[in-house]
Order: sequence, then C-alpha cells, then structure tokens
Amino acid sequence: MTHDVIVSAEKLEKVFALGFLRKKVRAVREVSFEVRRGEIFGFLGPNGAGKTTTLKMLMGLIFPTAGTARIFGEPVPSIAAKRRLGFLPENPYFYDYLSGEELLDLMGRLFGLGRAERKRRAGLLLERVGLGRAGARSMPLRKYSKGMLQRLGIAQALINDPELVILDEPMSGLDPIGRKEIRDLIRELKDEGKTVLFSTHILSDVELICDRVAIVVGGRLRDSGPLDQLLSPRLLHTEVVLEAGGQKEAVRLAPELDVDEALRQALAAGKKVVAVTPRRESLEDLFVREVESGDVGAGAEHQTPREAAS
Amino acid sequence: MIGRIVAISLNTFREAIRNKVLYSLLFFAVLLIASALALGQMSLHEEARVTVDLGLGGIALFGVLIAIFVGVNLVYKELDKKTVFSLIPKPIHRFEFILGKFGGMVLTLAVQIAIMSAVLFAILRLQGSPIGGAVVRAIVLIFVEVVVVTAIAVLFSSFSSPFLSGAFTLGMFVVGRSLPELRELITKLHEVALRDVLWASTRLLPDLHIFYVSGSMLNGQYATVHRVYVDWSYVATASIYGLGYAACALVVAILLFSRRDFV
Ligand SMILES: Nc1ncnc2c1ncn2[C@@H]1O[C@H](COP(=O)(O)OP(=O)(O)OP(=O)(O)O)[C@@H](O)[C@H]1O
Ligand SMILES: [Mg+2]
Repeated sequence: MTHDVIVSAEKLEKVFALGFLRKKVRAVREVSFEVRRGEIFGFLGPNGAGKTTTLKMLMGLIFPTAGTARIFGEPVPSIAAKRRLGFLPENPYFYDYLSGEELLDLMGRLFGLGRAERKRRAGLLLERVGLGRAGARSMPLRKYSKGMLQRLGIAQALINDPELVILDEPMSGLDPIGRKEIRDLIRELKDEGKTVLFSTHILSDVELICDRVAIVVGGRLRDSGPLDQLLSPRLLHTEVVLEAGGQKEAVRLAPELDVDEALRQALAAGKKVVAVTPRRESLEDLFVREVESGDVGAGAEHQTPREAAS
Repeated sequence: MIGRIVAISLNTFREAIRNKVLYSLLFFAVLLIASALALGQMSLHEEARVTVDLGLGGIALFGVLIAIFVGVNLVYKELDKKTVFSLIPKPIHRFEFILGKFGGMVLTLAVQIAIMSAVLFAILRLQGSPIGGAVVRAIVLIFVEVVVVTAIAVLFSSFSSPFLSGAFTLGMFVVGRSLPELRELITKLHEVALRDVLWASTRLLPDLHIFYVSGSMLNGQYATVHRVYVDWSYVATASIYGLGYAACALVVAILLFSRRDFV
C-alpha cells in the first residue's frame, strides 16, 4: 500500500541568535519526518525539545535555517496549502476585545467564507468544542479561562473544514475531562478522514490515540514510526502483589523467572496473591530511554521557566 | 486578497473603537479644541483666526501623537500578544497582513480627525465665524500628514522596538516639519562635498512642512486660513507627494517584515 504524504520535513534546522551577543541556539537539528494521509501523528518530546519551533517553521511563522518542508506537496509557506489546513498555536491567545463568535467570524472571512456560512460554522464549532453556552459565545475573550481559550483555539483551527489539522499541545491547560474530550475530538477528526499532527509531552495522550509518532529530544529526531514498532514487545518484569497477615508487599520478578513457580511458593508459604501484572515496555520507558541516551543538546539547556511549569 | 485586507483592517478599526485609551486621548483633544473657544473670545476681532489656528494645531498634534503611539505598536502588539500565530497560518500573505493593519489604522485616524473637526466646526458656528473651504483644505492636509507619520512609524517598527521606533518617528516628524529651516542651514555650509551630501539626504526625509500651512510662513508670507492660503490644486499636489512617500515607506516595511521570524 502506498501512502499519501501530507506533510514532509527534510532535515529542518533552526538556529536562533539569542540576545545582544547573538549567541547561537540550535533549537532544531536535521529533523525529518513524514505525516501520511488519514493518520494521527504524534510529535513527542520533553519541554524545549523543539516541537513548537518545528511547527512554526511548517506554518511559515519562522524561516528554517536549513532544510525544507512541504505540505500537500507545496514548499512552505504556501497559500494553497494553508487553505486546506488548520493550526492551533501553543497556549493560544487571540484578540481579547472580540467574543468567541466574532473571532470565528474573522477567521472565516480570511478564508473567504460568506456571512451565512461563517455564522453556521461558528455555531457548530462552538458547540463542538463545548463553548455553546450563550454566555461563552458572546463574552469578550479577555474573560475566557485558559481552558476556554484552548477550546476556542481548536474551533478556529477547524473553521475551514481542513484536511490537515496541526495542533501544538492541544491538551495543555485542560482538566482530565477536557483532555479526554479533545482526545475524542481528534479521533473524530480522523474518522472524518482528516489527517492530524499534534505535539505533546504527555505520553498517555500519544499512547491512546496516535498511529505513528516522532520523538524529538534536544532538537534532534530520535525515533519515528508506528508506536508498536518503537516499543519493544519484550517483557520487562512481572509485578506480583502479595498479602500476608494484612500486610501487602509488591515483588518484581525478572523476565527470566518462572512466574507460576513463584506464585506456587508464595501460596505454599500461606500468602495471598492480590495482583499479577506483566509489565511490557511503555511509551514512558521508551521516552526515558531516549532522553537518557546521548547528549540532551542545546534545547534543554535553554529551557525557560514558563515551559518548565507546563 | 482585497477581502482579506479589508477583514484585517476592519478588525484593527474595531480594536481601536473598543480601546479606552484612545477615547481618553480623543477627550483631551476635544478639550483642547474647546479651549480654543475661550482663547478666541479673549482676542477681540481676531477670535475666528485664533480659534481656527488653535483648533487645527490641536487636531494635527493629537493626530500625530495617536499616529506615532498606535503606529509603532500596530504590528508589534500582534507579535507580543501572539495573536499573529493564529493569523499567519491562515491563507494570507504577510503583505496583506501589514496592509490590513495599516488600512485599519488609517480608517481609525480618519474617524478621529473627523470627530475633532466636527468639534471645531461646532465651535466656529457658535462663535458665528464663517466655516470656509480653507479650513476643510487644512484638515485634508493634516490627514495626509498623519498618514505619512503612520507609515514612518510602521517602517521603524519593522526593525526596532516600539520605544525606539516611537523616538525615531517623533524625530522624523520634528525634522520633517522644519525641513525648510534645515535646508537653509545646510546651504550655509562651506564644505561643498558635505553640503551636497546633506542636501541630497534631505530628499529622503519627509517634507511635512507642506502639510501644516495654517499659522506658518508660506512663500515669505504669514498664512492663516483667512489671509494667504492654499487652493485645492496645492492640496492635490501635496497629497500626491504625501501618499507617495507613505507608499514607499510601507513597501520598505513590508520587505523588512517579510523576512522576519515571528517568534
Ligand atoms: N525565539 C527564540 N529565540 C531563542 N531561542 C528560542 C526561541 N524560540 C525557541 N527557542 C529555544 O529553542 C528550543 C526549543 O523550543 P520549543 O519552544 O520549540 O520547544 P518545545 O518542544 O515546543 O517545548 P515545550 O514542550 O516546552 O513547548 C528551546 O531551547 C528554546 O529555548
Ligand atoms: Mg512547545
């Protein structure tokens, strides 16, 4: 089966000159990856890894120092490609003197949508992201909470019914229920045939919904591919929880040990078996493995307190 | 293209009319123009002249102040507040964004100058002074001057901080208003090479003196909107010069903005 490549990044590189001395920060180094039609692609990395920088290069907000990127086959930034995509910036902030409805109307105008169509889509989208209440629609954005802004950001990214949706940390600032709602929404977008590329540093979000992921650490791409290929299926250990005389204890059995034998011995010793859990490599283990291997690079050294807090 | 520029312009205009700071600036402008009434009252026989000169001066002063203050922040604010991050990924060119912002600003200034002018006209009517076409021509000239100053503010803001841009633009305004005096100083220089270089470089500066004709020396005569005054053809020529200058400044600003990282 051949895949339609929707987004391709080839050896993207970004060097920022920082401060008065023009100190060089290599935020992104030789990052290459492909996003294929119809998939949910996770762009995973710790704070300061270069995720936002990479996405901004894709959006034409900043210019790559080296390398190229294409969206729908067109070199970025391309107006034709932008017509077919939607973007949610990190910690989005919009004109705070507008209401949610007015913002969506403005964004719809930039796509050349007619008045009636803008109104219809704004209503549907506000409903869809959970801002359908009359108060939320018409309230100025300066009164929106962080989570409400995040939701509105997703709504404005969908105003043109895009084929490709690029989201920078879509779940940040949301409570657990909100996170689940956004995960469900991303799955729905995929079901509608859209392609989704989103960045995150939260492993469980990726584990739950992504078809393929790329892992960036310190500006470098460490690994990319389908999740199950990145995770080794081998057993790490088996965790056994035993109870004896009202006291619980947890034992980790190395993979080469015979679990049945260990349980038999425990039962013979009069202990109760509470739980037996085989632990395979999780995304978290992979993540830690990637971060620990090799130098962490410029990215992490210049991590800002703002990012560390998120 | 036009639709997108208009959308951004109207949004910029909407930002201005929902901004409280601008209302207070406008309030002070109206206050100043109104005080012209009181001063006009004191100067017997000359009340119309004093009211008009003070009124036009007030309109020009506040117009220019707003142009500098808002102009240097026009694009900077979008970057600072990160609103540009959701705008540029939309199918718009950067030049459309800059032109849209500029258009919104010009619309805002037009409305503000219209309000201040209305106040001036009301005062003249109260005084029983005639509202001549000369006053209207002076207001058109002030508007063009303010557009030029806005374009210069946007140009400076494309490569420097708002504070520096504000200082530079104010400097350009002062120099531009006193360009005839500056040129006269230069002609008195003895060093020929330096004199020619300086003289040539004054061509790059905006000649703002030509826009503020009431209460200034014009061809060796003191012009007020009652005596020696300009006709519509003068206004047309000056406007073409001003709009051409503003267009050049904007083109340079657009070129500088088009290569900048929006971080
Ligand atoms: N404008 C800039 N000037 C200098 N350095 C920058 C700039 N923008 C980003 N960086 C640096 O580039 C690196 C990558 O930043 P980036 O924001 O892309 O990380 P991220 O992966 O999005 O992190 P997070 O998960 O915290 O959002 C960081 O070290 C950051 O300090
Ligand atoms: Mg980021």
